[in-house]
Amino acid sequence: MPLFRASTEAETIALGERLAAKLPRGVVLLIGNLGAGKTTLAKGIAYGLGAALPDDVSSPTFTLIHEYGHGLVYHVDLYRLEESREVEGLGLDDIIDSGALVLIEWGERFPELFPPPRTEIHLRALPDDTREIELRRLG
Amino acid sequence: MYILGIESSCDETAAAVVENGETVLSSVVASQMDTHGKYGGVVPELASREHLRAIVPVVREALERAAVSLSGLDAIAATSGPGLVGSLLVGLTYAKSLAFARGLPLIAVNHIEGHIHAVILESRRAGTPVELPALALVASGGHTHLFRVDENFGYALLGKTRDDAAGEAYDKVAKLLGFPYPGGPIIDCLAPHGNPLAVRFTFAKMKGNALDFSFSGLKTAVLRWVEARDLAAAIAARRALARAEPHASLEQWLAVTQPETLDLLASFQHAVINELLTRAAASAAQIHARAMIVSGGVSANAGLRAAARAAHLPYPVHFPSPGLATDNAAMIAAAAFPKLLRREFAGFDTAADASLKLA
Repeated sequence: MPLFRASTEAETIALGERLAAKLPRGVVLLIGNLGAGKTTLAKGIAYGLGAALPDDVSSPTFTLIHEYGHGLVYHVDLYRLEESREVEGLGLDDIIDSGALVLIEWGERFPELFPPPRTEIHLRALPDDTREIELRRLG
Repeated sequence: MYILGIESSCDETAAAVVENGETVLSSVVASQMDTHGKYGGVVPELASREHLRAIVPVVREALERAAVSLSGLDAIAATSGPGLVGSLLVGLTYAKSLAFARGLPLIAVNHIEGHIHAVILESRRAGTPVELPALALVASGGHTHLFRVDENFGYALLGKTRDDAAGEAYDKVAKLLGFPYPGGPIIDCLAPHGNPLAVRFTFAKMKGNALDFSFSGLKTAVLRWVEARDLAAAIAARRALARAEPHASLEQWLAVTQPETLDLLASFQHAVINELLTRAAASAAQIHARAMIVSGGVSANAGLRAAARAAHLPYPVHFPSPGLATDNAAMIAAAAFPKLLRREFAGFDTAADASLKLA
């Protein structure tokens, strides 16, 4: 499984930009703790697909779903949701079936809702502030 | 002229009747805090269901309190975005139906424009109208934006957050430390009990627009601070207090919050306020603003208000009263008034737009 390192925010964005073309459409779970760089990587991915400028991609925590490039990329954050029932109320199925790239933060808390095939990107902040970023394909 | 305003973009169902864009005859907010508190935030499916349940009684109450009947209205205004589509649809569709049934014009309002007009309405009412052009800082859980407000209520976006909103930073820091949702009021209450200079937060110098905000590094710095200490017992005690006493007093919170954590909260609040005010003042200078407007939920923050006063800026800084800082419908009716004068009406095909832009 490909493993990458990014030592700055700019490198994380550049990595996202490079990965963007390789990611199959559908669900991509961005998995990592608060501050691991999930939204930063999403900036690079949206930019890599020509859907948005990095500065225009902001946290969807409060607003839950952000859409970029007229349905090309969706950035979803389930941080504040507790139950699958609540996630189901978001209508993510329609978005996923639309052929868009759907980046989902905190989606691993609801694995039954995102069956394989899916892509996972695991992000980890190391003590020296470097980010370790691993790409996994399931199914 | 009477406008009925309806707001349902996020977690509040609200209705208000405002006369001539400045006199609030009624402002009713069906606060959903008790429903949402236990989930740590806005839950969309619950939110749209709550909106559906509340919309009819809230509108009826607003009309009754204002002593204005539907036939006495000149227009109906509703928030059309930004927000959660399912929530927006409840208020917008209800407004359309009422307007259609009564033959009244419909006015679509941007939620953020509403926040700006909450302040314009009150300052006009107080006899100290906001002089334009003004710089507007709109800061809440979902937004942190700087706009230039022109004489004819045109807007230009000057800066925005590149990652987390200011209110979101408060919510996430509160949650990290075991405090309940929403994080702003509790941190604002506890901050004066700590040393704001105890913890130094460094902000990375940003490339690009110097007026943009970034709060995600601050959140990460707090996370590292928490991880470097053994706070598990204290955090558990606070979570237990939040569960047992949804309306715990300041003394109860102080009893479960150690001095070191109070220092962290004070330093965090100081850093957020400093970021907000520094960039707002720089933006105001750039556009030669004659006034500053601070609005959105974060404008209720007492520390922010005190810091704005202490900064002695060369123009008046206008804040909304607490009731109009957070989401309400009086601000929607107020923002609709200039549109009514311009006959800027919305068709019945107007759609809710989750990512509606003001500028």
